[in-house]
Amino acid sequence: MSDAESIMNAAQEVSPKAADQLVQAVYQELRRLAASKLAKEAPGQTLQATALVHEAWLRLVGDEKRRFEDRTHFFAAAAEAMRRILIERARRRRAVRHGGEYERVYLEEDMLAGPADDEQLLALNDALQKLELKHPIQAQVVKFRYFAGMSNAEIAELIGVSLSTVKNYWVFSKAWLFREIKRG
Amino acid sequence: MSWPFQPLISPVHRWGVVLNWQRGVYDEARGTYVASWPDDLMNGSEKTELDLFTEAVQLPVESRSAFLEAACGGDAELRASVEALLKAHVESGEFLEQAPAEVKAQNAQPGEKVGERVGRYKLLQQIGEGGCGVVFMAEQEEPVRRKVAIKIVKPGMDTKTVIARFEAERQALALMDHPNIAHVLDAGATESGRPYFVMELVRGIKITDHCDQSALNTAARLEMFLDVCDAVQHAHQKGIIHRDLKPSNILVTTLPSGKPLAKVIDFGIAKATTDQRLTDKTLFTAFELLIGTPAYMSPEQAALSSVDVDTRSDIYSLGVLLYELLTGSTPFDTTELLKRGLDEVRRVVCNVEPPRPSTRLSTLMAADLTTVSRHRQVEPPRLIRDVRGDLDWIVMKALEKDRARRYPTVNGFAADIRRHLAGEAIAARPPSTLYRLKKLFTRNKLLFCSVGIIFLLLSTALIVTSRLLIQERFARRQGDLFRMEALADKLEREGRRDEALHKRIEALEVRAKLFGSEEPPPAEWLNNVMGTLVPQNQYDEAETVLNKLLPPAATRNPRFADVIVFRAHILACRGKWAEALADARLVLQYRPSEANTYHTLAPLLVVTTNLEAYRELCPKIVDRFRGVTDPSAADKMVKDCLILPDSGADLLSVAAIAETAVTAGKGMNMYRLCEFCKALAEYRQGHWSEAISLATDAAQESWPYAQGESLAVLAMSEYRLNQVADARADLARCEQVVQEQMPRFGGILGYDWRDWIIVQALLDEAHDLIKGQTAPGKSLPPRQAGQGQKDE
Repeated sequence: MSDAESIMNAAQEVSPKAADQLVQAVYQELRRLAASKLAKEAPGQTLQATALVHEAWLRLVGDEKRRFEDRTHFFAAAAEAMRRILIERARRRRAVRHGGEYERVYLEEDMLAGPADDEQLLALNDALQKLELKHPIQAQVVKFRYFAGMSNAEIAELIGVSLSTVKNYWVFSKAWLFREIKRG
Repeated sequence: MSWPFQPLISPVHRWGVVLNWQRGVYDEARGTYVASWPDDLMNGSEKTELDLFTEAVQLPVESRSAFLEAACGGDAELRASVEALLKAHVESGEFLEQAPAEVKAQNAQPGEKVGERVGRYKLLQQIGEGGCGVVFMAEQEEPVRRKVAIKIVKPGMDTKTVIARFEAERQALALMDHPNIAHVLDAGATESGRPYFVMELVRGIKITDHCDQSALNTAARLEMFLDVCDAVQHAHQKGIIHRDLKPSNILVTTLPSGKPLAKVIDFGIAKATTDQRLTDKTLFTAFELLIGTPAYMSPEQAALSSVDVDTRSDIYSLGVLLYELLTGSTPFDTTELLKRGLDEVRRVVCNVEPPRPSTRLSTLMAADLTTVSRHRQVEPPRLIRDVRGDLDWIVMKALEKDRARRYPTVNGFAADIRRHLAGEAIAARPPSTLYRLKKLFTRNKLLFCSVGIIFLLLSTALIVTSRLLIQERFARRQGDLFRMEALADKLEREGRRDEALHKRIEALEVRAKLFGSEEPPPAEWLNNVMGTLVPQNQYDEAETVLNKLLPPAATRNPRFADVIVFRAHILACRGKWAEALADARLVLQYRPSEANTYHTLAPLLVVTTNLEAYRELCPKIVDRFRGVTDPSAADKMVKDCLILPDSGADLLSVAAIAETAVTAGKGMNMYRLCEFCKALAEYRQGHWSEAISLATDAAQESWPYAQGESLAVLAMSEYRLNQVADARADLARCEQVVQEQMPRFGGILGYDWRDWIIVQALLDEAHDLIKGQTAPGKSLPPRQAGQGQKDE
């Protein structure tokens, strides 16, 4: 039994501590996974956060046919872990970019989408925190879908509402976040 | 307590425990995890916002307003809030629908750092960073101590392939030796497995920035561009294609002497790092990772369809660079296009003709144009004038979509620029009008086709209407003509012959105009006119009418036989023997049975001395008129057959016809004429006495020509009987008649022209006989009467 599995088994005991431990474990695994993949992957390979999460699931648990509860449980943790990773990276890159520690001489038009993506991600994170204060469930739906790549059906099963309700929440959250980012 | 999310706290879903790990509390009593809800959730208004939004968003757009009106009541704030959400919903589009950005960049930071070693190079300072990778200034210690630039390629590439590709081209790269080329010295892989390239260190700025900062004018920019061309040409000669020429790869450095020097960097790197089997899926990444901007990419590179990138792709990129040096912008704003997707970039680069540089300058906003001009130290109008024409064509030729239409070599491109600088004619001629039309057609097929169809319809309609118009005009004129002709008929019936005649001539002229000169008027009309004019001796006028209205071809038409008869008469009356003879011969074809036909032909043959033909004709006359009963016809035929002594006619047969004339003509006005014909017949037979008796009687006829004829025969008969004195006296009388009564030949002989010919012929014969010489005042051409006698 792997570490992750033992943690998950512990999490089944429904302890907040265990849950946090799970997030930490997944977080470490995701970081390690991303770094190794980036160094070795084939040219043109795009590493997407959601794909990483799925791969992490396979690596940590190693069984596609794992119980559904395990799977959704894991993804819920992974969504949070992934969010943290992305936000950390974006913040760090911004700091470097604005710090001007290097004299940039050329290749400047090569700086493409990165900065814009980072700003967007950070803005989204801020807005998401505000949404969480007012509509925690709806904010959670966003995290599941956006950061862990979960399907509506998985989310519905996980939080115990109908599929159409998940869809409604998603539409509402999207509009709410969009309004918030535009306003901000 | 009405929990909207009741299921969350259901024990069944204990996995929910991790969901709100941030702010959740563990409910010991229920043995489950409970989210801590914010207080304001309970006041109902938020719930309403979510509910209202959810309900409203499922309604059709037009009904939402009414729904909110009813649902919100007086709560304006709530309503505004929901409406803002609805608006955001409409605008949000793809927001959050794509998974978050790649995490690719996170490894760039933990990568190589200043102070570390990469291979045998020590990283000194980072001097550049971008999508392509990070560039460091580094120090090489072995085998020589020198400073170099190291470009460490971003992750995401197959290091082995990149290095292998570079190695494949390494020898060719080593062969390049050009002051404007920065050497690529080495390549390898870092410890973390990323490929890097070691290059000659160039401390410079982009060529475009240099030109603007130094405010180079157009000529100076062209000179600098020519240096770049030299460098690229050199590389092409060594078999190296750059594939990624753009300002950031062409740096201008300042030599110790202060002279600027352009250096092309990154030769060989694009080939090594560009996956030749680029697919759509990876291209986006490729743009970001390697190319940065597709602005300088040739259509064949952008299309991806052809992987055989060749030197002409570099020429295209150079064309883009020149475009930018001249105008301050690239032909297409690809960064903007890229936001609309790859297909849009591809469509524009491959299909859209960019504006010419001068057009681009003219369409710049005033402020931009001023900036561009200041960077080139000229006034805006002068700048546009400099670029218009030659430079437009040169740039556009380099930017041709079809690479076969571009300059075949960089040298050709550079040579054209040199020619422009020297004021010579450039090779990049404007594309032919046909070529441009073809382009225009392919771009606007629908427009062209519809215009073509409209044009076709219009011209068909035009043709049809003009034909109808012509027909209508023709019919109207025809109506006019018929009215004129009817009027002429009417006048004729009323006896106003002169007016009728003029009206008729007028009508004939209209007819000639209407039907063209090839279409003759009806023969009867011409006959009518002739029948009016000829009896009035208006021969000139009659001839004019015929010349004008009778086409030459019409004389071959038997319908015009009568008109020809008239014409022969008109011509003969005025001594135009040759022309008259031609008509007379025609008449013979049309009217072989009429006496008048021969009465015209025979005298004319005599007077034109066509004696062979005359002698052939006479026996035919005799054969045809052997049994004639009409005294007038008999008279004429006898005379015609006996004009000359040796006519070839059987004299006995002629005598029989003469007998008919005398017998049938007895008691008629013309009896004396008949007597003369018998006298002539007797004379020709050698019956002198009978001839004298008949001729004496006939000489009493009042017609002058009849007197002349009779006196000539009388004189000759008397001479034969040795009554010489009488003969001389009668000959003198005959001459007197001719001199006094006969109109001169060549003048108007009038209706009796035939008999006057006969008179003259007989008189000549008498003269020869009696005096042995031709009569004085003879105007017939010398005839060979003597010959005939000798033949006898």
